[in-house]
Amino acid sequence: MADVIATDSFLTEEQSLSLRALLDLIIPADADRGMPSAAELDLVGYVSEFASNQIAGIKTELESLDQAAQREKGALFGELEKNDQQTLCDHLRETDPRFAIAIAVQTLNCYYQDDRVVIALGWKARPPFPEGNEVPQADLSLLDPVRERGRIYRE
Amino acid sequence: MAEDIVDVLIIGAGASSAAAAWSLSDTKMRILCLEQGDWMNPAGYPSTNKHWQVMLNPDYNQSPNVRRNEADYPINEDESAISVANFNGVGGGTILYSGHFPRLKPSDFKTQTLDGVGDDWPVDYYALEPFFAQNDRNMGVSGLAGDPAIPYHEPPLPPVPIGRMGEVMGKGLNKLGWHWWPSDSAIITEDYEGREKCINLGPCNYGCAQGAKSSVDIAYWPMNQRLGVELKTRCRVREITVDENDMATGAIYFDEDGVEHHQRAEVVIMACNGVGTPRLLLNSKSARFPDGLANRSGLVGKNLMFHPWGFVQGIFEDRLESHLGPMGTCMLSQEFYETDPNRDFVRGYTLQITRGQSAAATAVNHTLRGNIPWGADHHAGFEKYAGGSVNMNICCEDLPEECNTVTLDPNLTDSDGIPAPKITYRLSENSERMMQHGVNKATEALQAAGAFQIDAHGHTRGTGWHLLGTARMGNDPEKSVVNSWGRSHDVKNLFIIDGSIFVTAGAVNPTTTIQALALYIAETMKKNLANLFD
Repeated sequence: MADVIATDSFLTEEQSLSLRALLDLIIPADADRGMPSAAELDLVGYVSEFASNQIAGIKTELESLDQAAQREKGALFGELEKNDQQTLCDHLRETDPRFAIAIAVQTLNCYYQDDRVVIALGWKARPPFPEGNEVPQADLSLLDPVRERGRIYRE
Repeated sequence: MAEDIVDVLIIGAGASSAAAAWSLSDTKMRILCLEQGDWMNPAGYPSTNKHWQVMLNPDYNQSPNVRRNEADYPINEDESAISVANFNGVGGGTILYSGHFPRLKPSDFKTQTLDGVGDDWPVDYYALEPFFAQNDRNMGVSGLAGDPAIPYHEPPLPPVPIGRMGEVMGKGLNKLGWHWWPSDSAIITEDYEGREKCINLGPCNYGCAQGAKSSVDIAYWPMNQRLGVELKTRCRVREITVDENDMATGAIYFDEDGVEHHQRAEVVIMACNGVGTPRLLLNSKSARFPDGLANRSGLVGKNLMFHPWGFVQGIFEDRLESHLGPMGTCMLSQEFYETDPNRDFVRGYTLQITRGQSAAATAVNHTLRGNIPWGADHHAGFEKYAGGSVNMNICCEDLPEECNTVTLDPNLTDSDGIPAPKITYRLSENSERMMQHGVNKATEALQAAGAFQIDAHGHTRGTGWHLLGTARMGNDPEKSVVNSWGRSHDVKNLFIIDGSIFVTAGAVNPTTTIQALALYIAETMKKNLANLFD
């Protein structure tokens, strides 16, 4: 997957602009931690490959977002100033607990499987198989008090 | 052309079938197993893909109603407080099980005598003990000898690592003075019988690409085939046929092209799990058995037991790396397993302590709950929750009740037009009280271990992994479906060997006991070959 919004997007250009703005509000970049903004990832490509059954819901949520932006601020969400985007987003989240929930869930799934994110978190950017993971065995002398107590089952 | 008649026809290729076929193979009888699903391809399991965290649904979903593979049949669960989890393929439910492998205990086999509830089994723990041990060797089971909550036994392989999370939980449980122990696990921790050891991939419950989890497609079936057992896949049985002498004559099945066949057999063994077996028996109506085959007791499909299941999750400040390791097997506490008359419920439960959530699941779950914010503080919020979660599962004993049933749905069918099962099930008051006690105790344990946040989820619907009791064992033909060695009271050459025959449920994952029973039944069949149908 590319690291930019794909050109064969299931979204219009306006929707892509609004989506990118919203993603940057959900997970902005954090330079100190080396974490990218969610807007830098290819969410559309990710959804197309792994969550195509969510496309309709995502489009509906973006349409609602742009309608709210037009109604409240007189422009599409992606065309607003950053402060206005934040204010409107906060308002919509307060008034609708399910605001942009499909977008948020797919964003989080995409973000926390992205190589840059996984590496920044100190984890390995690879599938579990075939290299596997190390898990230490604990100090099993911790079981001494359990042993000392003796049998607890009934015959 | 001469009619093809096999000596033994086994329906289903899951845990019990594999064990019984192995045992019976030394008779040199001709054994044929029909399985409605196919062989699995471990190279396609989610853990082979970088995006494994989102590849779990729907192909490897535990619910047949979500998964909807060609091999699956639908299940009407509208009137059930617990939804069914199963898998149809060579290996059956062991493909998606965690491999958590605790045995039933001696008291589980005599709940009526000890506690005045349920019924006693016609066999006891010690009759099964050698078969538990044999099955542990065949499957490849790891664990630590000396658990004071179960009669002494020595698993053939050392225990799975409990990790830092296990150490933290062990210290917490020690503060309370409660029992805990590393779990017996059907996961090989050393190279074993040509299989490579566990490398802690994590998502065992979606298939083990390493082959270290002892699913029976790996642990048993290759061996069975070398011993001469025949296995036909993509064959869905519609009906067990009988003659005028009440003897089973074989099975009618559809092959993968939908072509109907009649396989004749001298002996038929049902191994289709606690839902599939009653479904097939109820679909096998005839003039001799108008209420379904082997159902003169009226008990086929009744007394369905799951294990009512709840969760309590604790979050720890330390980076416990709890998301690594076999997800369903770590350790257990059986402090509250046996009946205590001072409690407001009878019988008890296991606290099964399992690994934490993956990164994506952590982010989604805690963001949706409001624990991790949107915006600049998101990253700090995620760090607080990542790698620090521990799940305590409450596995409650379910007591048999005739109102909990598997019946045939009047409208729903599978892709071959065979009537599908309908589940009618509700939690008893005893289970509700037991669950609340378990939630409180799990919370106490997580507090003692130092969790800074504890989320109690209680009873959870999508946990019907254990399908038990719907063709129970017993000595009285009016109160049971099969006898003490799995033979139908009504049809002398029909045997049932899966979880259907459980009399009570215990409070542990049942696979090891199902397999020990299957080996015990097969051994008893061999001892009685000369007069098997008397």
